[in-house]
Amino acid sequence: MVPLVLGQAIDRAIEPGDWSSLALWLGVLAVVFVWLSFSWRYGHRVAMRVEERASHDLRLLVARRVVHPGGGLSASRMPGELLNIATSDARQAASVAVLVAANAAAVAALLVAAVILLRVSPGLGLLILAGLPPIVGVLHLLGRPLEARASREQAEAARAAGIATDLVSGLRVLKGIGAERAGAQRYLHASGASRDAAVRAARLFAGYEAMAMLLVGAFLALVAYVGGRLALAGEISVGDLIAAVGLTQFLIGPFTRLAYSGAMLARARASAERIAAVLATPYGAEGGDTLLPTPQGALAFEGVTHGTLRDFSLAVAPGEMVSIVAPHGSDAQTLVQLLAREDEAASGRVLLEGAPLPSIDLAAARAALVVAPHDAAIFAGPLRENLAPWSPSAADLERIAEATAADEVVGALPEGWDSHVTERGRSLSGGQRQRIALARALAADPPVLVLHDPTTAVDSVTEARIAAGLAEARPHRTTIILTTSPALLAASDRVVLVLDGQVAAEGAHEELTHTSPEYREAIG
Amino acid sequence: MTSPMNSRHQLLPVASGRQVRDALRALMSPHGLLAAGAATMLLAGNIAALVGPPVLGSIVDRVVEGADEDALITPVLILLLSTLAAAVGTALGTSLIAQLGEAMLARLRERVVERALHVPIGLVERAGTGDLVARVSGDVSVVSTSVREAFPAVLGAGLTIGLTVVGLGVLDWRFALAALCAAPIQALTLRWYLRASGPVYASERAAEGELSQTLYDSIDGASTVRAFRLQEPHLTAAAAGSEGVVRIALRAANLRTWFFGWLNLAEFVGMTAILVAGFLLVRADAVTVGMATAAALYFHRLFDPINTLLALFDDVQSSVPALARLVGVAEMPLSSERIEAAAPADASMALEGVSHAYDAGHEVLHGVDLRIAPREHISLVGASGAGKTTVAKLLIGAIEPTEGHVCVGDVPATAIAPEALRRTVAMVSQETHVFAGTLADDLRLARPEASDAALRESLTAVGALGWVEALPAGLDTPVGSGGHMPTSTQAQQIALARLLLADRPVVILDEATAEAGSAGARTLEAAATTVIEGRTSVVIAHRLSQAVEADRIVVMDAGRIVEAGTHDQLVASGGAYARLWTAWASARE
Repeated sequence: MVPLVLGQAIDRAIEPGDWSSLALWLGVLAVVFVWLSFSWRYGHRVAMRVEERASHDLRLLVARRVVHPGGGLSASRMPGELLNIATSDARQAASVAVLVAANAAAVAALLVAAVILLRVSPGLGLLILAGLPPIVGVLHLLGRPLEARASREQAEAARAAGIATDLVSGLRVLKGIGAERAGAQRYLHASGASRDAAVRAARLFAGYEAMAMLLVGAFLALVAYVGGRLALAGEISVGDLIAAVGLTQFLIGPFTRLAYSGAMLARARASAERIAAVLATPYGAEGGDTLLPTPQGALAFEGVTHGTLRDFSLAVAPGEMVSIVAPHGSDAQTLVQLLAREDEAASGRVLLEGAPLPSIDLAAARAALVVAPHDAAIFAGPLRENLAPWSPSAADLERIAEATAADEVVGALPEGWDSHVTERGRSLSGGQRQRIALARALAADPPVLVLHDPTTAVDSVTEARIAAGLAEARPHRTTIILTTSPALLAASDRVVLVLDGQVAAEGAHEELTHTSPEYREAIG
Repeated sequence: MTSPMNSRHQLLPVASGRQVRDALRALMSPHGLLAAGAATMLLAGNIAALVGPPVLGSIVDRVVEGADEDALITPVLILLLSTLAAAVGTALGTSLIAQLGEAMLARLRERVVERALHVPIGLVERAGTGDLVARVSGDVSVVSTSVREAFPAVLGAGLTIGLTVVGLGVLDWRFALAALCAAPIQALTLRWYLRASGPVYASERAAEGELSQTLYDSIDGASTVRAFRLQEPHLTAAAAGSEGVVRIALRAANLRTWFFGWLNLAEFVGMTAILVAGFLLVRADAVTVGMATAAALYFHRLFDPINTLLALFDDVQSSVPALARLVGVAEMPLSSERIEAAAPADASMALEGVSHAYDAGHEVLHGVDLRIAPREHISLVGASGAGKTTVAKLLIGAIEPTEGHVCVGDVPATAIAPEALRRTVAMVSQETHVFAGTLADDLRLARPEASDAALRESLTAVGALGWVEALPAGLDTPVGSGGHMPTSTQAQQIALARLLLADRPVVILDEATAEAGSAGARTLEAAATTVIEGRTSVVIAHRLSQAVEADRIVVMDAGRIVEAGTHDQLVASGGAYARLWTAWASARE
């Protein structure tokens, strides 16, 4: 609208030197500006709200998928990568909202301009309207290789960021062997590759921009030439000529925006695809709809063959404390994965309260059967927060802390249970973390609790204390411990030795130490 | 961490504005020629683009004069040529700018990562790796976007504006004056906006940092979240963090709309001034209608670049905190920038009256004295929390004593260049990390020049060659995140193989064998014996079978050394070690 008003102002006011006409057209200009300003303001606010909400929703969708009871995601992706998807990609994908609004505005501007141009001069108007779409088409075609470059650029950037994240996550290990320099060197390569990809993409982009400028500029010259001839022939006024030239010049904006939006859309799409890939990752386990209203704590394996397990059968009665000695780490790992529902048994059945695991509602299964991971995370915040979901009473807390020797940990901290721990509980030592994790497992108090090597980082005296505490802490609850620690084995009701994926011996610890040389060998 | 309750995370340093400027200048200085070339090209392109409006104006003049049709050919040709020149100049200019920007950016992020890898470990532990990760990924990406998009656009727009005002002046100085009527409004608007939005952007960045930390905690601990059904509190925290980000972002968007509202007013004022000036000048016959047209087109053409420039102030501004966070890490002093540098005389180590407190006033180690002879094997035992790991961290220089000295080869550790210290002492703790990449890449972190044969030799020594050769591509199998995930025993074997490759005279094993079950532990114990062979060693182990073999067993309790001697001596003396041994041995009877 502005070029039109300018043309009219020059034509009707400046050329004849008419004061009142100048005042009139300045007034019109004012109205146009007010309208422009307000519509943009509200449009932008709405678009931003949509973008921010969408970004928020995407972030939470990713977070929800990551912690979904069905699992299946953690093994294949770096935490840093997932974090990037949940933050940067969510934002990038949501930017489509503002892009769409901007494009809609560009299209509307084009339509208004078209109407004005056609009214000024059908011939010139048609020339402009017929000429611009092929230009946009050509620009779009030219823009296509940009998408590939842009995604390569992004991939290289993501790789470099991934390496940086990986190195920083393993910083303590890296420092242990003095490999800071070698690590930095490795990042240097990735960063260099990322830089080169970015420069290549930028060059292509600059070339594309030049082509766009050239095409549009040439077209502008054509419009000026044709318009000039029409004006000379007296078919249009000088004001119309200025409006036509001004509009063509103005139209570069919306058109370029439309043409660029291809590349931006491609970025957004690449981000959206990464998010979709995370969301579509198959679950490690699917739940059924059997609910367990009053689980007693019965667990059984029936002829399970999976991973390194071969036709593995074992029944655990409610309230029993059973230790499983699996000298081959992979047997223990397979058992943990099956019980933690990170994986489904290839053949055979795992029964909880007599129901096959896959038939049980996931939430119900996880409520009845808790597998405390060996590398359990202690979350940042006050220590107490880690047990907060089960809100143990002060007396319970004391009882649990005593049973798990966590009381020594808490006592050694400046503010006891209110002490603040840093992320992953790294301000605590390994043995301290294990005891807090164990205390949390007891606070959760599930009918069936599976502990995987719960005391590997504590000394033998503390371990003996924990073994005694565990045996007393869960009197009518089922506890299964995967361990080779003699102290824990001695405290168990029953011990099962697993060799070559099968139960090789079972009985009391005392008994097996005398009767089974393999057992003695396994726990030595 | 003097008052851990005050802030959730002890943040890494953030650079001041002055430091950022200095750092940018330093980054720019090696590329002077490139910068000059880019500026020349952009200038040439913009000058060429400036030809457009006067040429269009001359067409208007010819129409007003009623010239014949052929008179239009020349201006149109000029228009075409100037467009060509503008396109070529701008394209070359922008790609040179990109080259410059990317080179600076790459240098900056490389420096950030380098420093991040060299900072004292204690600092990172307090700040959290989340903060560091946010800096090496999130902040790098914010600054990259700014370098790739905002910076060239701001430069281009600035040039266009400056040159257009010059062009207006060339038409008639009074046009330039009229155009400048808009400037005070723009200046005031910008000043108001920068003041109002600065804190909003700062809090936006802070909220985003907090959100990534929260999300990282949940993502990294996802299996624990699943096991204990902690989805509810974790998602609530994530949602709250995310809501906070949304709220602040919308507040920023609101500010932005006001900002552009004022800019529209400035455009209107400027346009009106130009039209009135044109009106007066044409009446006075000082300029032609064509020149007035050119002036109006010039000014109209300024709308976009002015908006771009002022709006990108926004982007540039929001990237400034990110840049400050990057420079903050990049400018952290490398501890190797120490003046005096002594070399350790031999492979002995000593703690002399060493006390340590992680939190002021909460001492965990009290006046520890310990001398370790070259090639002596020490076993450090005691209850969890007795201070064994603190001793290990002190020996490797990860932390510095609050009181007393750590000596390496009879030289105080503080006088030794960290590089030399790293060449002397190495450590494997129970924390495992398998670095992403091929297994060979992972091992070569310890010795980059190692041959495949040397890698195999080290794997054989720790008893890992069997399973490594069974991997799909042997040494070239991708491991770590996104690749083959070794078991904890295998991961520790890799760690011990790295230690062999690193080949340091002093090695510290802090619970290096604890993570595995007992069968794995025995494999690792055998590997550990190989690794410490011929070196000074300090081994912390809860499995006392390892202690039995040591030259000397040092028993710690509550931050003090309470006993020291050989296994037989200590068992005979009936003290703390004897109790530990009885508990250990009785369970195995």
